[in-house]
Amino acid sequence: MAMLEVERLRKSFGGLTATNDVGFHVDQGEIVSIIGPNGAGKSTVFNLITGVYRPDAGDVRFEGTSIVGKSTNQVVDLGIARTFQNLRLFTNLTVLENVLISQHHRLRSNWLSAVFRTPSYRRQERAMREVATEKLGFFGPRLQSFRLHQPVYVLSYANRRRTEMARAMATGAKLLLLDEPSAGMNPKETSEITQIIRRMRDEGGYTIVVVEHKMNLVGEISDRVIVLDYGQKIAEGAYRDVVNDPKVIEAYLGKKAGDDKREELADG
Amino acid sequence: MTLLRSTRNPTWRRFLPLLVILGLVALVVWRMLYLGSVGERFNAGFFLRAFIDSVKLGSLYALIALGYTMVYGIIRLINFAHGEVFMVGAFTTYFLFTITPYALPAAIVMAIILTFGLMRVVELFRGSMRDPIVLGVGAIGVVVLTVALSAFTWPFWAAIVGSMLATGVLGLSIDRVAYVPLRSAPRNSLLITAIAVSFFLQNVGLLAFTNRQTPFRPDTPLTTPLAFEVGGAPVLTNWLLVAIPVVTLVLVIALTSFVTRTRLGKAMRASAQDAEVAQMMGVSVNKVIATTFLLGSMLAAAGGAMWGLNFGSLNQPAIMGILPGIKAFAAAVIGGIGSLPGAVIGAMIIGFSENFLTALFPRTPTFLGITEFKDTFAFVLLILVLLIRPSGIVGEDLSEKV
Amino acid sequence: MARIVTPTAFDAIDPKKRVRNVALTFLAVGVGVLVLYLLEGIGSTKLVQALALFAIWGVATVSLNLINGTLGILSLGHHGFMLIGGYTTGLLMLDEAARQRILTSARSTMTEETLALSVSNLLRGFGLEALTTPETLWVRFLIAIFLGGLLAAFAGLLVGTPSLRLRGDYLAIVTFGFGEIIRLTASTRLFSAYTNGALGFPGVTSEFGKSIWWTFGALAFTVFVISKLKYSSYGRAMQAIREDEIAAQAMGVNVAYHKVLGFVISAFFAGVAGGLWVSWLGGVRLDFFLFQLTFFFLVAISAGGTGSITGVLLGTAVVVFVRQYGDPLEESYSIQTWLYIASATLALAAAGAVLFRTLRRLRPRLHWGSWVLVGGAAAAALVAAVDPAVIEGTFRGFGMRAIFLSVLLIVIMVFRPDGMLGRTEFSWSWFLREQRTGPTDEERTQDAWLSNPAFGSEAGRAAAREQELAEDDTDAPEGSDDEGRR
Repeated sequence: MAMLEVERLRKSFGGLTATNDVGFHVDQGEIVSIIGPNGAGKSTVFNLITGVYRPDAGDVRFEGTSIVGKSTNQVVDLGIARTFQNLRLFTNLTVLENVLISQHHRLRSNWLSAVFRTPSYRRQERAMREVATEKLGFFGPRLQSFRLHQPVYVLSYANRRRTEMARAMATGAKLLLLDEPSAGMNPKETSEITQIIRRMRDEGGYTIVVVEHKMNLVGEISDRVIVLDYGQKIAEGAYRDVVNDPKVIEAYLGKKAGDDKREELADG
Repeated sequence: MTLLRSTRNPTWRRFLPLLVILGLVALVVWRMLYLGSVGERFNAGFFLRAFIDSVKLGSLYALIALGYTMVYGIIRLINFAHGEVFMVGAFTTYFLFTITPYALPAAIVMAIILTFGLMRVVELFRGSMRDPIVLGVGAIGVVVLTVALSAFTWPFWAAIVGSMLATGVLGLSIDRVAYVPLRSAPRNSLLITAIAVSFFLQNVGLLAFTNRQTPFRPDTPLTTPLAFEVGGAPVLTNWLLVAIPVVTLVLVIALTSFVTRTRLGKAMRASAQDAEVAQMMGVSVNKVIATTFLLGSMLAAAGGAMWGLNFGSLNQPAIMGILPGIKAFAAAVIGGIGSLPGAVIGAMIIGFSENFLTALFPRTPTFLGITEFKDTFAFVLLILVLLIRPSGIVGEDLSEKV
Repeated sequence: MARIVTPTAFDAIDPKKRVRNVALTFLAVGVGVLVLYLLEGIGSTKLVQALALFAIWGVATVSLNLINGTLGILSLGHHGFMLIGGYTTGLLMLDEAARQRILTSARSTMTEETLALSVSNLLRGFGLEALTTPETLWVRFLIAIFLGGLLAAFAGLLVGTPSLRLRGDYLAIVTFGFGEIIRLTASTRLFSAYTNGALGFPGVTSEFGKSIWWTFGALAFTVFVISKLKYSSYGRAMQAIREDEIAAQAMGVNVAYHKVLGFVISAFFAGVAGGLWVSWLGGVRLDFFLFQLTFFFLVAISAGGTGSITGVLLGTAVVVFVRQYGDPLEESYSIQTWLYIASATLALAAAGAVLFRTLRRLRPRLHWGSWVLVGGAAAAALVAAVDPAVIEGTFRGFGMRAIFLSVLLIVIMVFRPDGMLGRTEFSWSWFLREQRTGPTDEERTQDAWLSNPAFGSEAGRAAAREQELAEDDTDAPEGSDDEGRR
């Protein structure tokens, strides 16, 4: 049974069909990339999976059970977490607080225990801090020392991205949806992120779905690539195959380029 | 601000409001007939009187609601202080027709304020304060108005116009002093500031005017009594029944033409849709916002003056503006905040629900009537609309893109 | 300069520090008790009453700040919750004589049944006769206050639920609407059997509301609960909702639950404040709970700083001071005096504007606004000195306190929206100056600003140079996460 199954997903906004009959699956331990031109509906798929939007039709199943209609925080409880395309950190709070908040949903004490600081609450609080430091440690010691207590707004862009990823990991999710994790990063930082994502799967055991634009990143980490265009899935498969698919080339570069590719393939 | 109804709903949904309205009308008529059969008093005249009062009240609320809806349309701020602007407009009118002529220092100060307002109004059409006509108006205006204020008793019509100008200046000042510095501030700060301005004006009004009720009886033909018969039942009212809706209509038409036909009006509509892009297209959004405050305050002042005429007196300044302000805001929301015709529609609804409903459930020997709940009704309606259909009757939906 | 930030207040995880903190807190409380005892003994009644009012309004403002500051939701209906708590406590605590008076009065709308609602009767119903004696009045008061808070909390649940669907301005209006609806319906025949309509009822014991001990005890309890909540995981979740609701939801925070929780807790304490307020005033009337009350709380919160409880208390102190000691503002003075005062205020404002612009390095320093202020000041002084009509008359400064507070709020919103204290919270670490005053070498290497050769230490600059050399190695090596950076 696949960890995530998306079946015939459809969503329209007014007259615009953002997602049209999209279906795919993700097995545990995979890294799947979703690519496509701008406006293809990639972030919408994430929003539909995480419950931000309710699909007009179709189903989303996580570990066998349907999660359509569940609210976003319920989806997180079940084990899916996401990052955002344009970084939605809690800017006035510190790095540590950001990574602690994503663990709040697993807190077993009620608010009264928190107010009166019962021993069990204290224990959980300590455990949460350890988890936070551990997740931040994925990125080396740079966020673990004095930066822990700095408000996010003083951080560099790359550090903010790292904080956001650590925050998503700290939710305790099994499936991570990363929305353009390397946006705004230079080549050195991008290759660093590539290693991080691979380490997240290898060492952290996460299953990862990535929406990306940078093809080198996609090529290096993906087990499978899914291509969307105008809300529809137009190709799926290994990176090498997808990149040479005429339909995909047409979507990115236009009809002529696509036809050229078809000719090239026909010629052998 | 929007002027056109959204046309994106499927056909059957478009008829739903119409059906609801027809249903309500049927219920009302049935109730009226029932009451008529129960008591002599509840005859056609009684209901016509209630109808007239509702139309008048609705028109007055409309004048205030337009100010709320315009400001919200552009800067998404609920201008809490607008109710107080309405109050100041009423009192300024009072002080212009009662204690004129003024002593010279006061006349000069008032003349300066009025002339500044006049210059701003002319500027709307001429484009800049440095325009020769604007400056000419300014120079002549100061002199003429000083003389007029210190030598003559002002007639009511002049008092209204003067009050509109002075209150317009007040609106501009509020914007300049309190809201402009907070253009980029978080929403909550702006709202709190608006509340503070509202409180400030209430207490300044208390200080400057009085803490009692003020009788408002200018010498004007508008209050001449008017009597006629309907179906055998006598109706006693005055010419305000005609005057208030007519004046409101004129002002609303003037505002709508300004917003549709002039360049500044187009700039206002553009800013309401997307202030950032409008600014990139060369629109001075600050100027647009200032104009909005100017026009909204002028309308509110007219509303205040006629409110006084209608009720014959003005409530204490600290409380006069609160309820009408909230009700007018409710009207703007119900009609669709950001939409001009919506504000008028919503105001009529509030006016009717306040007056006509109380008539439909009057005090009888067996029933205490619902007058006690008159004011609560507007709040309840507002909360219901905000929960069920926040975009109002005409309005559009504004949600956040993730 | 890069900000050196200490770990969040109340964050002392180190057990030794925790013990020290608790000990210091006990010490401080002891000192506080001594001070209060002294003040009660030697202070005037007015001072004691002002202190009690500070504590009562402190309960209200700290609880209001839970929603406005921590959750970030502008709530304008706090006076409604206080009304519910106040009326409940008032009715339950009315003494027998007052009840008889109301029963026999012609204009009152309360019935025998409603007048029978008292804590004493309640206790008798449970067979606890012993607790109905005059000595145990304080037990009954506690119960009454608690019940008032409970009912207000229930109202908080009702008001909090629409908050889930609305945002920002609309939500503020809805809370305002609820506050007004509560007040308006309390006077109608629906509830006048319980509230005595517009008349209200006097005769609530002032023993507790005017007592420093009870009020400060309530304040201490409130501050304890709210601050422990704010600096716990739940408080962080609420702050997350304030910062970015969608992201909070995406990180697993049950936004609906936390919003309603905030409203319920806040309303509970508002109800408690209402009960104490009613006791302070010695009676219950509808116009004790006007929107003006919430406005004063807003001023207190905004002036002090919505980000810190210490700030809120500071702001409350300012507001209470103005309310209790602001009488001179509202007296009758000659118009000439008023004009001189106005002139002085305008001149001061002009000076303040110039100072502000100098500090913030804004040019031009003498902005046209300052000129307007100076002109106004000069004009006022001139008229005061010269105009005979003005010199004769007198003028009463009605409502000056409210004017002063509203102007204060506007000035704060424009010039210092974070309030006096911003987000600085009192904590023993802060008090004992545990923060470092300089960056560590590690910070110097990792912080771009501090690595700038123009600032920083020699060691830092050397380390920065080393780092640049290391980064010139453009071949991103395998597993290059961090080992190279040191």
